[in-house]
Amino acid sequence: MDEITQPMVLMDQVTKSFRIADQDVAILKGIDLNVRRGEFVAVMGPSGSGKTTLMNLIGCLDVPTDGRYVLAGRDVTKLTDDELSVIRNEHIGFVFQNFCLIPYATVYENVLLPSLYTMKSKNDAAGRAVDLLRMVGLEHRTRSKPALLSGGEQQRAGIARALINSPELLLADEPTGQLDSRTAEDIMKLFVRMNADHKTVIIITHDPNIAGYASRIVRIKDGLMET
Amino acid sequence: MMRLIRILAQALMAVRAFKVRTFFCLVSVALGISAITVIVATTEGAFHEAYLMVERFGPDSLMVIAGSDEARAVGQRTKTITLADVEAARQAFTSAYLTAPLMAVEGTTASYKNNKYQTLIIGSTSDYSSAWSWPVIEGSDLSENDVIGLKNVGLIGQDLLRELFGTENPVGKFVMVKQVLVQIIGVLSERGMSPTGVNLDNRLIMPVSTVMRKIINETRYVTLFRIRFLDQENLGHYENEMKLFLRQRHALADDQPNDFRIISPMEIIKFLVALTGSLIVFLGLAGVICLIGAGFVLANLFLLSVKERTREIGIRRSIGAKKGDILFQFLAEAVMITTAGGVVGFLLGLVSSKLLTMVAEFPIYFSWKSAVVGLLLSWAIGIGFGLQPASRAANLEPIKAVRE
Ligand SMILES: Nc1ncnc2c1ncn2[C@@H]1O[C@H](COP(=O)(O)OP(=O)(O)OP(=O)(O)O)[C@@H](O)[C@H]1O
Ligand SMILES: [Mg+2]
Repeated sequence: MDEITQPMVLMDQVTKSFRIADQDVAILKGIDLNVRRGEFVAVMGPSGSGKTTLMNLIGCLDVPTDGRYVLAGRDVTKLTDDELSVIRNEHIGFVFQNFCLIPYATVYENVLLPSLYTMKSKNDAAGRAVDLLRMVGLEHRTRSKPALLSGGEQQRAGIARALINSPELLLADEPTGQLDSRTAEDIMKLFVRMNADHKTVIIITHDPNIAGYASRIVRIKDGLMET
Repeated sequence: MMRLIRILAQALMAVRAFKVRTFFCLVSVALGISAITVIVATTEGAFHEAYLMVERFGPDSLMVIAGSDEARAVGQRTKTITLADVEAARQAFTSAYLTAPLMAVEGTTASYKNNKYQTLIIGSTSDYSSAWSWPVIEGSDLSENDVIGLKNVGLIGQDLLRELFGTENPVGKFVMVKQVLVQIIGVLSERGMSPTGVNLDNRLIMPVSTVMRKIINETRYVTLFRIRFLDQENLGHYENEMKLFLRQRHALADDQPNDFRIISPMEIIKFLVALTGSLIVFLGLAGVICLIGAGFVLANLFLLSVKERTREIGIRRSIGAKKGDILFQFLAEAVMITTAGGVVGFLLGLVSSKLLTMVAEFPIYFSWKSAVVGLLLSWAIGIGFGLQPASRAANLEPIKAVRE
């Protein structure tokens, strides 16, 4: 399989259990997932069904208990913690429901954050950060602390940060969960734009309107994919 | 490399952002380091003092004192060293460039006009000034003729000078001691205290012959003598030789103790170390306790901070920081704060030891060493006590951290 046709995310019977009160509880019970490059996928499902758990696995924040996970042609189940960090840094952009900006850093510094940890020596992050802040419409707030921004503005900063290292995969766990519908629409338009820019986008949402922006919807229930 | 510098910049940002933590860590480290600074300066001061003492005593000289503590205890004589002993030693030790007898007469009163002052009369030869490395700063030294001719002349110490003459020039004037009129011919420089705390500046130095015949009517015995050698490095050897030489001259049997005492520069150093040692140990203990206290303050405040910053750590991990990066950042924060604390502590130490020297006679001596010791210790605290909180931060699971 060559670069283009190779799937971005390929999960094969992935399970995940947590130890809760001295018992291993299976949260994901055998997930098969195939997301092609350039796809825009929305993951939907009831609360507690394991969406966030799945997203953490896709984003290499956590490793599966069992099964195989190939990210962009690379089996990530056997990687070390440091190697996973590099993958998160270079290949994945995260957007969080609660924005997750560092409170004592300015918007600009927050956007730059992933570029600090990059191993690549050539790194024109400063220029790119300015461009990204302009793209998300925050060029006038670059020196502000996040707490002074509205929710929508904070999320736009979060998106700019997710894009700073030019990842090919953009992950968002309920990115509009704390925003009103008007603001949510603006945010979704940014995702659509990123997707048009050949980025693979996976978002989690409860909201069918939000899911409507995606090109494909997958549903998860009780730790299994619904077909 | 650039990556590490970028993480250092993040650490600096956090140090500036979490002001309360920075302030308390900094102050406690500064207190500990200031104590250490004073200790190092005191230790150095003590050594410096010892060095100066030995320089003044003469690093190449021995002092042989008549009588000994053991001999005195069993009721033996303290008059044991004769002028003849001194002369024989001069002949026997060919590498000695100076051998000077000394006669001390305690508890005499010297008077000039209506002024009276307790003095210690020292009878010596013309070599007194060089034997003790004690310069005559006005007038002239005792000459050989003064000694041969039993002249009534003397050198005056600074305290005695002040008490008897005030601001008057003493040279050529006459002082009365034990019904004898003594003409002052020279003034000795200020000498201060001996290591045993004896005032050295109330002395009146006269020819040994004059003191023996005219003041105490003594023909044979002297209080002590002093001998200086060309080859300083063999001093230990000469000390032993001198012991054997005098024991033989005094016909002491093997089971009899020495009837004299030999003081060497080594002995002075030992004495000083014993004197300042306990002070240094006490201060050292206090300093170490302060430092450990500072370390615990730092460790606790950092643990709290790690808890408070769980989310931040999770964010950093999720966007690609490695465990090592987090560890490095938190250690860097700790070391930055303790370094600043070290600098502040050093300055505090400088100020407080200046204050100490104002209040009490305190041997303080500052050199680059106290700065280096302070800096190294503050780094040690930063790393030593910052390590546990930093590794806790590094080992936080990113998924838990971001969930909060
Ligand atoms: N680290 C963990 N340790 C223990 N249990 C966990 C952990 N992470 C998730 N769980 C449990 O797994 C189940 C699924 O959680 P998850 O967050 O994936 O659900 P979700 O689909 O994202 O729900 P929501 O829509 O409310 O965000 C829940 O019961 C949760 O308590
Ligand atoms: Mg969730």
